[in-house]
Amino acid sequence: MKLIAIGECIHIISKDVKAAVESRDKAFIQNLAKMQAEKGADYLDLNIGPQKKAGHEVMPWMVQTIQEVADLPLSLDTSNAAAIEAGLKVCKKTPLINSTDATEERLGAMMPLAAKYNANIIALTLAKGGIPTTADARVELATERTFTAAAQYGVPIENIWLDPLVLTVNGNQDQAQQTINAVRFFKQLADPPPKTTCGLSNVSNQCPPDLRPLLNRIFLIMMAGAGLDSAILDPLDFETMEAVRILDTRDDSTPKGKLYLGIYDAYAAMEQFDTSSVDMSDPELSNIAKTVNIMQNKTLYAHGYLKL
Amino acid sequence: MPGVEIPIEKWTGKIKEVKLGGGKRKEIVLGGENTLPFLSFEGSVPHPPTVAIEIQDKEPAGWSPILLSAWGDAVKDPATWAKKAAEYGAEAISLRLVSAHPEMGDTGADVAKKTVDKVLSAVDLPLIVIGPGVAEKDNAVLVAVSEAAKGQRIAIGNCEEKNYRTVAAVCISDGHAAIAKSPLDINLAKQLNILLTDIGVPADSVIMDLDTGALGYGLEYALSIRERVRLAALGGDAMVSMPVLSHAGAEAWRQKEAKASQGMPPGWGSVEERGIIWEELTALTVLNAGSNIVTMMHPKSVERIKATIHKLMGKK
Repeated sequence: MKLIAIGECIHIISKDVKAAVESRDKAFIQNLAKMQAEKGADYLDLNIGPQKKAGHEVMPWMVQTIQEVADLPLSLDTSNAAAIEAGLKVCKKTPLINSTDATEERLGAMMPLAAKYNANIIALTLAKGGIPTTADARVELATERTFTAAAQYGVPIENIWLDPLVLTVNGNQDQAQQTINAVRFFKQLADPPPKTTCGLSNVSNQCPPDLRPLLNRIFLIMMAGAGLDSAILDPLDFETMEAVRILDTRDDSTPKGKLYLGIYDAYAAMEQFDTSSVDMSDPELSNIAKTVNIMQNKTLYAHGYLKL
Repeated sequence: MPGVEIPIEKWTGKIKEVKLGGGKRKEIVLGGENTLPFLSFEGSVPHPPTVAIEIQDKEPAGWSPILLSAWGDAVKDPATWAKKAAEYGAEAISLRLVSAHPEMGDTGADVAKKTVDKVLSAVDLPLIVIGPGVAEKDNAVLVAVSEAAKGQRIAIGNCEEKNYRTVAAVCISDGHAAIAKSPLDINLAKQLNILLTDIGVPADSVIMDLDTGALGYGLEYALSIRERVRLAALGGDAMVSMPVLSHAGAEAWRQKEAKASQGMPPGWGSVEERGIIWEELTALTVLNAGSNIVTMMHPKSVERIKATIHKLMGKK
C-alpha cells in the first residue's frame, strides 16, 4: 500500500508562514498547499503553533483557505484543542488531529474531538517521565494509555495513528531501530490494526542540512518495511517522494530502486539489511549503504560519515 | 578452579599506538590493545596506561592547600615542578599554559616557548602541552610550543571542532601528536577525528580527550562515553580507535569536595585524604573505561593509581 505522505511545509516555525498567518495572506498559504499537492502530498499538515488567543480563528481560516485550492485531507497541527475543534467543523474531508500524546490531559482534550467529528488522530507514545527508550515502552504506552482512552471516548482503533516519536541519530543512534520495532509491534496490537505515522525529519535533527534528506529517506524506507503507513515529510524534496514512488510501484529498474527495495524487503521480513553486497564504487549506492549502517547502529554516526 | 570457563570476546578492532617522546627522551606508547581495559586474558594489552603529572606555567591560584603543600615552592617554577614530578613517579609531564589566558596574565608566544624549553631541558619525560583554552591564544602559543619542541614528539592540545586547523597543521609539520577534545559527545569525538585526519594528521598522531567529569560531577557520563567509544573501536571503527587521554586530576581537584576545609561539613571526613581519594576514584574510573593516559595532580594519588595499574596489569 502506498505510503501516505503528509506534507509538512505549512509550519509556523517558518518565518514566511508565520508572517502569512499573521497578515492572513491567503495567496502565500495557498501557493504552499498547491506546490505540495502537485508533488504528491496525500495530506497537508497545518501547523499553526499553540495560538493561545486566536487559534479558534486561525485554524478555520487556514482550513478554508487551503480547501479553496487543494482537494486533500488536512492534518490540524496544534496543541490548542479549541483551535482543533474550530478547524474540524469546516473540514470537507476526514481530517487528522495532530496530535495527542499519552498523558491523561491531552488524551482527555483530543480523543473526544476525534470521536465527535469522526476524525483520525495522531497519538504520540510519550507520557510524563521522559521519552520512552525502547520499543516495548512505546508499545506499553500505546496499549495502556492510548487504546484505553480510545475505548473510553469511542474512537475506533483504526482511526488512531500511532507515532513512536522519532529521535535523531546524532546522539540517540540506537533509537532508530527501537522506533522501527515499535512501528512493527504497533501494527500487531489490534485487528483491524492502528495506523502508524512519524515525524520523519526528527531522525536527522542536528545533522548537517545536506545530509538530512538522505538520512530521512533511508529511515523512511526501513520504517515503511516495518509497516509504517504514513509520515510527516517534505514533499518538495524530490528524492523523498521518489523513494515513496519506488516503494509503491516496486520500481527496480535502477540500481538505486533495487537497493531501496532490498532494504524495504529486509525490514518487511523482520531482518536488518546486509550492506556487504552493495556496489561501493557507485557513490550514490555507497552513500545509501553507509546511511543504512548508521541507522542500524553498525557504524557510529559523525557528521562526516559519508567520507569514510 | 574446576569447570569455570572464562568467556572470551573476539574483537576485530585494535587501539592505535601513539608514541610520544623517543630519541634521547624517554618514550611512551599509548594504546595498542585489542581488548577492553586490563582484560589481558582476552587479548593483548601491550602498554599499560600512562600516569602523567599535570603542572602549570604559573603559580596556581585557587588550588587546594593540600595540593599546594604537596608541591611546596616547586609550583613557582615549571622546570623545578617538572623535576619534582619526575621524582614522584610521573611517566609524562602535562604542562598547562595557564599564563597565556587573557585573564591569567595574557603572556605570549615567547613566554610559552621559553617555558617549554625549560621543562624539556629539566626532565627527559615525554611532554604534553595544553593551551589556555581560548582559541586565538591557543593558536598563538601552541605554534611557538610546537616549534620549540620540534623533534621531541610531544602531544599538543587542544584541537576542538571549532578550532583545530592551526594546531593540527603545526603537529603535522613538526611531527607531534594532536589532542582532539570533544565535549562528552561520542559523535563529535568521531567527527573531530575525521576532520583531523582529513587535513592530514596521521591517524597514529591523534589522542582523544573525550572530556572528563569528576566523581559526583558527571563521572558516569565520562565512563559511558569512554565505554561506547572503546566498544565501537574494538568493533572495528577505525575513526574512534585512537588512544584516550583524561585530565582526571584537574577535574577532581576543581570540585568542592576536594577543596573544602576540614569539618566543612563535618561528615565529609579528613580533608587530607578526601581530595586524594576524589582524584584517585576519578582516575580509576576513567582508566577502567579505557583511558590510555591520565593526567593527575597529587603525588599520593599518583602513587596509588600507579600501584593499582600495576596490579590490574597482572604484575606482582
